[in-house]
Amino acid sequence: MFFKPGLLENRLYLVVDDFGDMRSMIKNMLMACGVREIRLARNGSEAIELMEEERFDVVLCDYNLGAGRDGQQVLEEAKYRHLMGLGSVFVMVTAENTRDMVMGAVEYEPDSYLTKPFNKDFLKTRLEKLIAKKHNLLAIEEAVEKRNYAKAVTILDEKIAAKPANCNELRKIKGDILVNSGKLTEARTLFEEVLAIRELPWARLGLGRCSYLAEDYQQATDEFQRLKSQNPNYTPAYDWLAKCHKRVNQLTEAEEILKQAVSISPKAVPRQQMLGEVALANHHQEIAESAFTKAVHHGKHSVYKHPSNYANLARVTADNHDGAAGLQVLKQIKKDFKKDPKADFYQASAECQIHEAMGNDDLAQASLNKAAELQKSFDQIEDSDCAIELAKTYKKFGMEEESLELLKGAILNNHTDEQLMDEIKMTISSMDMDEQALGTIDTIREEVSALNRKGVELAKNGQLEEAAKLLKETSTRMPANRTVNLNIALVLLMSMEREGPSPAIIDEIKGYLARVAKADPDNNTLQKLYARLKTMLSDYV
Amino acid sequence: MNFPDILASLIHDMKNSLGLVINTIDDLGQEMQDQENPKLGTLQHEARRLNSNLITLLSLYKIDKGQLTPNIEEIDVEQFLYEISVDNQTTANNMGITVSYESEEGLVGYFDEWLMRSVINSLIGNGLRYTSSQILIHAEFVDDYLVLSIDDDGNGFPQSMIEAQSTEKQKKPQQGETQLGHYFASLVAHMHSNGEREGFIKLANNQRLGGGNFSIWLP
Repeated sequence: MFFKPGLLENRLYLVVDDFGDMRSMIKNMLMACGVREIRLARNGSEAIELMEEERFDVVLCDYNLGAGRDGQQVLEEAKYRHLMGLGSVFVMVTAENTRDMVMGAVEYEPDSYLTKPFNKDFLKTRLEKLIAKKHNLLAIEEAVEKRNYAKAVTILDEKIAAKPANCNELRKIKGDILVNSGKLTEARTLFEEVLAIRELPWARLGLGRCSYLAEDYQQATDEFQRLKSQNPNYTPAYDWLAKCHKRVNQLTEAEEILKQAVSISPKAVPRQQMLGEVALANHHQEIAESAFTKAVHHGKHSVYKHPSNYANLARVTADNHDGAAGLQVLKQIKKDFKKDPKADFYQASAECQIHEAMGNDDLAQASLNKAAELQKSFDQIEDSDCAIELAKTYKKFGMEEESLELLKGAILNNHTDEQLMDEIKMTISSMDMDEQALGTIDTIREEVSALNRKGVELAKNGQLEEAAKLLKETSTRMPANRTVNLNIALVLLMSMEREGPSPAIIDEIKGYLARVAKADPDNNTLQKLYARLKTMLSDYV
Repeated sequence: MNFPDILASLIHDMKNSLGLVINTIDDLGQEMQDQENPKLGTLQHEARRLNSNLITLLSLYKIDKGQLTPNIEEIDVEQFLYEISVDNQTTANNMGITVSYESEEGLVGYFDEWLMRSVINSLIGNGLRYTSSQILIHAEFVDDYLVLSIDDDGNGFPQSMIEAQSTEKQKKPQQGETQLGHYFASLVAHMHSNGEREGFIKLANNQRLGGGNFSIWLP
């Protein structure tokens, strides 16, 4: 009565469960629904292997999969690595007691949760509903995938205008797209309209996100606080609240909130990582050790696995216990990361610090050389975390000047990245460093902004050559800086628009834009400049 | 580990076994290809009742520990009722009872889908014992409340129960599984609030099918 016949049958299914009985039961149910193509996996690794070989339309995955990945980690990896096509359906099968645990998922949510036990008829109606829903949203997902947010919003508006039953679900998707594409005023209006009718968590969260992005941290804090008190199990409220506190340097408050969040949902790796880092800055060694232990443990089979957690755990273990225990932790990096220069870097950096504290000066020096060598080869935007890490190591080694130089470089190259500035502030406070020695973060940022402003002003006055010269000079000091690269591209574009295109300048522009695209492909200005370049070229062809 | 925690973890384990039992019974029904088999019906019905009682027990335990807060979502009510009727159909058919549902198309409600499903499944479980041939799940908006009701064509609730609901008595669990189910429904209804208004339950007789009528009012 709701659906076209044949919706289920001609599709490829994957059933993941560690219990053989359960696998064959679900398989039988699907076959009774007329499904013919079903693959079975016993655990997360098998599931991922099968997903690497074939594109599944529907994945039915149990949350509890024994040792190794759990269902959430299978989902995260599948989405992160694009192992599932647009329009495919992921259903998480849970026993009721895992429900709350699962709800704390950070970034990726399944299309549906299915609570055991369920029968064939129930499974059939649920799958029919999900497949029909995905089909209905396919054009939107495709537009988002191509970063054509305007098109996605147009399609959504058409659907919303028809006032369907799932109207608010469409509004929720629209709100996310608006926020992600920087249209905060429109997003705010949408969330407020929804909240005027009913208090819905996603809309309140959206409103808070708008305030946060508009840098109104007090307002954002109020929204998230309200959300948290109304929905004590809704962990995204905690994460955002902690982010707000971090922004305004209230690290004690941030730590408190994160402690509450991990007690509700302990398995989210990024949350444990953030708690560990904040606790380090607050000199709460015990809490940091516990958080990094969990970040490493739960991260082992997760796309959120990061060598910095291992390095931090090793250091904090060495501090809390002894150096040998810390070095023992580091051995795990080699096992868990294969041929990964970033992992090698973190290992060397942590080794250096631990050896130094143990008095093994030669070993410490060798590790330091290795770490410094590796860090030079890294991308200065994407791998800015490594610059901060190395700065910490330099400082512990007594090389204060080198440490400050690295931090300064990170600020110059990423001066608009608020989160990174927070990281640097936290680093400074965790190392008991003097911000004065650095010349203060804000002064450095202001200097970069002033240079950019001057360049743009020159360009506006028609002095394009002078503008390009100034900005290019600036760029040699901070080659990865987004704003500088975008402004150079803009000025070069303007000069071509005035004097006609030249292949050499086009290549130059593309080079500057590519530096930005690598780390921030969603950047609004970047997209606009690409479009402008394209228009200009097509005008001349 | 204290006793209630041990109990909770054991209940959880029992639920898993029961899940397999229920699915195996369903399979058996399929293999036997019988249209209606009263024995199979009893087996299915009792196993499902056990399951929904265990869920109720676990949920009450969590509510008591303050660990259960509703996860309010926007729900397509027609689809929700459709899924519940489909879920209960096989069992009911084997007992010679029909389960149907009525809802306006496009009706949207705001509630915790999983909790409400547990409540309604448990109420249908009760209904199957007391009805003579039919159960109807119905949804509509009354005075800005979403009213989900379960009607049967049995003898209805005893007068004492209907009278008791105006007093505080109804909020305390009483003897017998029916009352425990009602108590659970009442707790869950109260957990659903919108602004100043809270949800509640209501018992009545002689409504849509002439028998008992249990309704959950959600703001």
